[in-house]
Amino acid sequence: MASFLRKNRPLLVTLLIVAAVLLWMTNRYEPKVTASILLSGLTLGALYFLVASGLSLIFGLMDVLNFAHGTLFMIGAYIGFTAYANPRLILNTLPFALALLGGAQAGRWLGGLLPARFKQRWQDSSFLVLTFLLALALLFIGVRGFNLEKLVAATATATGGVVATDLAQEAAGRFLPRIILLAVSGLFLGLGLSRVGTAEVRQRPRWTSAGVGLILVAAAFALIPIRTPGEVFLLSVSSNVRFVLALVIGLLAGAGLGALIESSLIRPLYGRVYYQLLLTLGLSYVGGELVKSVWGTVGFYMDIPAFFGGSGDNCPSPNLWSWFSDHCQSINVLGRPFPSYRLFIIALGLAMFIAIALLLQRTRLGIIIRAGVQDSEMVQALGINVRRVFTLVFAIGCGLAAVGGVAAAPFLGVNLGLGLEVQLQGFIAVVIGGMGNYVGSAVGALLVGLARAFGDQLVLSGIHLPWMDGVVRMSPSIARASTVLIMALVLLLRPAGLFGKKD
Amino acid sequence: MTNILEVNAIHTFIGQFHILEGVSLTVPQGSITALLGRNGAGKTTTLRSIMGLNPPREGTILYAGEPIQGKTAYQIATRGIGYVPEYRAIFRALTVEENLRIAERSKGDLAKRGDLIFELFPDLKRFYRLPGGQLSGGQQQMLAIARALVPENQLLLVDEPSEGLAPIIIEAIVAALRQLAAHATVLLVEQNFRMASQLADRYYIVDDGQTVSSGQMADLVKDRPLIAKYLGAGYAGAGLVPAQSTTA
Repeated sequence: MASFLRKNRPLLVTLLIVAAVLLWMTNRYEPKVTASILLSGLTLGALYFLVASGLSLIFGLMDVLNFAHGTLFMIGAYIGFTAYANPRLILNTLPFALALLGGAQAGRWLGGLLPARFKQRWQDSSFLVLTFLLALALLFIGVRGFNLEKLVAATATATGGVVATDLAQEAAGRFLPRIILLAVSGLFLGLGLSRVGTAEVRQRPRWTSAGVGLILVAAAFALIPIRTPGEVFLLSVSSNVRFVLALVIGLLAGAGLGALIESSLIRPLYGRVYYQLLLTLGLSYVGGELVKSVWGTVGFYMDIPAFFGGSGDNCPSPNLWSWFSDHCQSINVLGRPFPSYRLFIIALGLAMFIAIALLLQRTRLGIIIRAGVQDSEMVQALGINVRRVFTLVFAIGCGLAAVGGVAAAPFLGVNLGLGLEVQLQGFIAVVIGGMGNYVGSAVGALLVGLARAFGDQLVLSGIHLPWMDGVVRMSPSIARASTVLIMALVLLLRPAGLFGKKD
Repeated sequence: MTNILEVNAIHTFIGQFHILEGVSLTVPQGSITALLGRNGAGKTTTLRSIMGLNPPREGTILYAGEPIQGKTAYQIATRGIGYVPEYRAIFRALTVEENLRIAERSKGDLAKRGDLIFELFPDLKRFYRLPGGQLSGGQQQMLAIARALVPENQLLLVDEPSEGLAPIIIEAIVAALRQLAAHATVLLVEQNFRMASQLADRYYIVDDGQTVSSGQMADLVKDRPLIAKYLGAGYAGAGLVPAQSTTA
């Protein structure tokens, strides 16, 4: 018992403080207010957790501070929202990505096949530069004149109907050459990439990667004729199905982007901390500008899916059980309505926490990740391809952030500022919990979320202490400052964070 | 006897420092070969170069007749080389079981080799579910060796297994390594000359990044001047005191 107390002291002290604040809150406010503060805090905590967990996993295993994480959260929101409200845009741009990626995979394989003598000469000469220039030129010719604005424009009225499909979307005859050009461009890109970096970094790609490449290119071509029927079908299904689809597409897009970033940009920079920092920071700006160039600067509002958007005489639902039958927009919590969608965010955060915890504790990949956090070199010396695990973990982390973005879209809206705030709070959560500690990141996220919600309430009602004459009003930014304050306090008392180990 | 490992004049740099300046050695199959030398001579770097953790810039490394220099560590390991690093680098956050399971190269390796491992190190069975960080130093060393035994490795690179351990534990590890030699070839880096001389059939001495002497361990034990020159006087004394309890 004594050893249990000693070992879990930071957790227990934290719990004690949280309990004291709770006690004070129940004393000060009505129960319904307390309950809604707590639920709001949990909602924010769940969102912060989705960002913090990825940051923590990536930092723990690879020592990379990913400053592009918030941007991936935002990109997730945009892509998820697009899949939800304007599948036409997805169906018309996905073939580009597939063709380019597939071509690059095949190109990397081809690069590995080149005779050794040729390889050497190629790497030393300007052939490499020429290859990349050729790839870029093909890329530009491929996308020249492609009318993205028209496709994006449908977003605002997407739920309205499918009227303008043929006007906005290019005919297959014009679209097909673009895809061919992009596949070839990808091929050259892959050829070039296969020669970049030292021999130590490079791996000879196996024929399976060429197979994957061919499948991707084939998928790109297959998508061309089903763009229109696909859109009609997607807009005809219920918003719930589209929402699930949006989550899945967001996850895949985030994971794919993460894998791409890790394998192409971060991999050559392992062990060079400042370069990584600058790279991820730069990527966050590139990502932001890319989103701006596609979707514009005006934000979007994403509808809550029907499952969480019911209304009628019996709304708000009197309790959670009746909500399962009427799907009201809000649920009555001790006399105060609380949006049911936010409960979904809490559930999603919890589900992701459990899923990742199971992955870490129960699977071989989890064992490898936990071992790699301590000593990735030794893991490699056991015969495990650690680089592949790095890519996978980076992809998982980015996927989590993107899912968080999709989930946040109906709650916080889809706009360019979405990522920054969440990333800041995510970092604070990771630091509070202890860098690289998964459970710590969850506890940190919860603390930050609760502090935000509590801070918001304090701003709303003001502070009134017994010896004061009146109520002291504070500026709303105190809610944001409160989390930084907690971080400073934790760092002063436990420099390694609540769950961090000193080594 | 064929050579399982041939290292030919490798040059290895760490950063800008030229650590190995032409180390050469051969390890015959089924032997225990000791790699000796004072601190900073390049013993650990030699093992790390073989393992691909510090790839050599020049020279060749042949394992079972095939060149492995320039390959990544995981590719080298999967060819059948086990690495037991210095400082008992086990995974502290993982349980004993997980520490062993992570070393499996195909499913069922641990089940196959479990009997051998637990016969050599019964403690590991007792503490199967305990985190590695809670084991004693000796048990951690046993776990590190056991981890290299899980897959069917032909060659084990063992780095300073006696470091910081009590004499009685060292004896247990000597006994285990001796039994091990029946299953795999061992290249042993060791500061403790007494332990090395008890175990090894052959020796190499590296000094300032170069191989300076090699031969049969039985000859080295008698060569006081050589020991004094490269391993230090203290070494000589330690080596020439006959072992009391492990003379088997």
